[in-house]
Amino acid sequence: MAKDAYRGPLERTSETTWRIPKSYRKGMRVDGIVYADDKLVELIRHDEALDQVANVAHLPGIQTASLAMPDIHWGYGFCIGGVCATDPAAGGVISPGGVGYDINCGVRLVRSNLNAADVAPVQSQLVEELFRNVPSGTGQGGNYRFTPRELKQLMGDGVPFLVERGLAVESDLDHTEARGKIAGAEPDYVSERALQRGYDQCGTLGSGNHFMEVQVVEAVFDDTAARAMGLAQGMVCVMIHSGSRGLGYQVCDDALRLLRKAPEKYGIHLPDRQLVCAPIESPEGQHYLGAMCAAANFAWCNRQLLMWQARECFATVFNRSWEALGMNLVYDVAHNIAKLEEHAVDGAQKQVWVHRKGATRAFPAEHPETPDAYKHIGQPVIIPGDMGRASWVLVGQPGSMEQTFGSACHGAGRVMSRNAAIKHAQGRRIDKELADRGVIARARSWKGLAEEQPDAYKNVDLVVEVVHRAGLAKKVARMRPIGVIKG
Amino acid sequence: MSYETFDHTADVGLRVQASELNRLFADAGRGLFSLIVPDLASVRPLESIHLELSGEPSELLLFDWLSELLFIYETRRLLLCEFDVMVSESGVSATARGEPIDAVRHQLDHEVKAITYHGLKLERQGDGWLAEVIVDI
Repeated sequence: MAKDAYRGPLERTSETTWRIPKSYRKGMRVDGIVYADDKLVELIRHDEALDQVANVAHLPGIQTASLAMPDIHWGYGFCIGGVCATDPAAGGVISPGGVGYDINCGVRLVRSNLNAADVAPVQSQLVEELFRNVPSGTGQGGNYRFTPRELKQLMGDGVPFLVERGLAVESDLDHTEARGKIAGAEPDYVSERALQRGYDQCGTLGSGNHFMEVQVVEAVFDDTAARAMGLAQGMVCVMIHSGSRGLGYQVCDDALRLLRKAPEKYGIHLPDRQLVCAPIESPEGQHYLGAMCAAANFAWCNRQLLMWQARECFATVFNRSWEALGMNLVYDVAHNIAKLEEHAVDGAQKQVWVHRKGATRAFPAEHPETPDAYKHIGQPVIIPGDMGRASWVLVGQPGSMEQTFGSACHGAGRVMSRNAAIKHAQGRRIDKELADRGVIARARSWKGLAEEQPDAYKNVDLVVEVVHRAGLAKKVARMRPIGVIKG
Repeated sequence: MSYETFDHTADVGLRVQASELNRLFADAGRGLFSLIVPDLASVRPLESIHLELSGEPSELLLFDWLSELLFIYETRRLLLCEFDVMVSESGVSATARGEPIDAVRHQLDHEVKAITYHGLKLERQGDGWLAEVIVDI
């Protein structure tokens, strides 16, 4: 990777924002705005992410700016860490690349009544139990099977489908974005191929950057918000990061195929084929939206079943029910999704499609979609970091509505390619190094750990600091990992 | 072997060079499976399947070919290691051989989520061909 791969203009506009002016490239309809501090901006310049921010600014109907969070890095088409809102009334488009292959990839956090001292004597046993029982890695089927008919019902109904089957409880719904069911799902638009890929994958982690972690609340920064979420210093939690598995990847793949000729048909000029899109109101756009929403519901069910299995593992190890262990869901939030939301654009309220590609919704207190339990503090924003250092819990702030279509960052962001990470890990035992830091990590392969080693990521603390200072989301708690399972 | 990986921040790039298209498609198939099971030699060619894909010989046909192989892997849990490929003006006709995943003998690495269009390339290079494709990990 070339040092300073980006050679275009980047003007500082505030302590935490940088601007790529729309004059940079012919065809850009709006500026690019990047959130970063001095340190992060240097890392961001090293790959092609900034040119991708400029590419997204070409999309018809884009509003205000092509936005990038401080964890941005080179993706395919859209950068990862990008936010883009399009207005259907202004010829706005929907772009599957703006959601990504892993539709509704997201994170959930589960609390418990346990503290670090309760877990210490059984730390290895607990991680082992999770690793043995929660399917992870490639080529692994899950513990739950659904017939094609059930799968369609699951995609139409979302997590409420699992409540009926005793695999979720009402309070899980109350603490899931969109209550685990996004409106507009059209399971019949999901292809046979996608159903075949997904039939035994609901309740599986996958591989890559997906994980299940046992964490300890290391520090609390906002007592009121932490109390509302049931979090306290020293408490043991579980964080789960996964998405819509093969089913969602196939929905995206099908859509990109369907849209191959759409730019020509609708006279849209694009700088990268991976940005293919169609007007929201077009048959192609509507087809993708119906299938995307169905895959998003599948993803919420996937994380619900992953959590359910984690609860069972804890119940086995501690010989108490998950209810007795207080393993309640704090929140589940999507970070690869497109949603129709109301936002202020140039002083007017508009319904826009917000594409969040590696960005987390961060609605403030009193927003109608912020769940009741959090109405007074804002919506929890869950930010996974890396497996050695930390993850974070934040709450959405009014600044997100004013600046970023209600969005914040979604993670630390990679800084090292997978090849570079493997070279960096040669001759090392990442699992031993993590154990020295008090983290027990289990993965299906050495490479899995090597590629995901802490050094492969930016320091999540720096990323969170930018989001906090920019007023997009406020720090609530810093979480330290003690157990990790990976694909 | 004429495939190699190249750097991409979040994902993995696959670069394939071959003297002719048939060979290039076959090597791209091997390259793809080498990401899933790095020791391709551990996969035995016990089962064979036939594939037919239509389309002009272009980077999109290569995309479709790799996507099809990925679909076969994921839905049949079949690791493929040998490919006889005929690329014509109208598409691909191929026989692929391999065996189902054996948890004991096969050390699996990556789950390849998808083949992407980003930086997708198939072009003449000197007397031969060059292809580049970035896969989503």
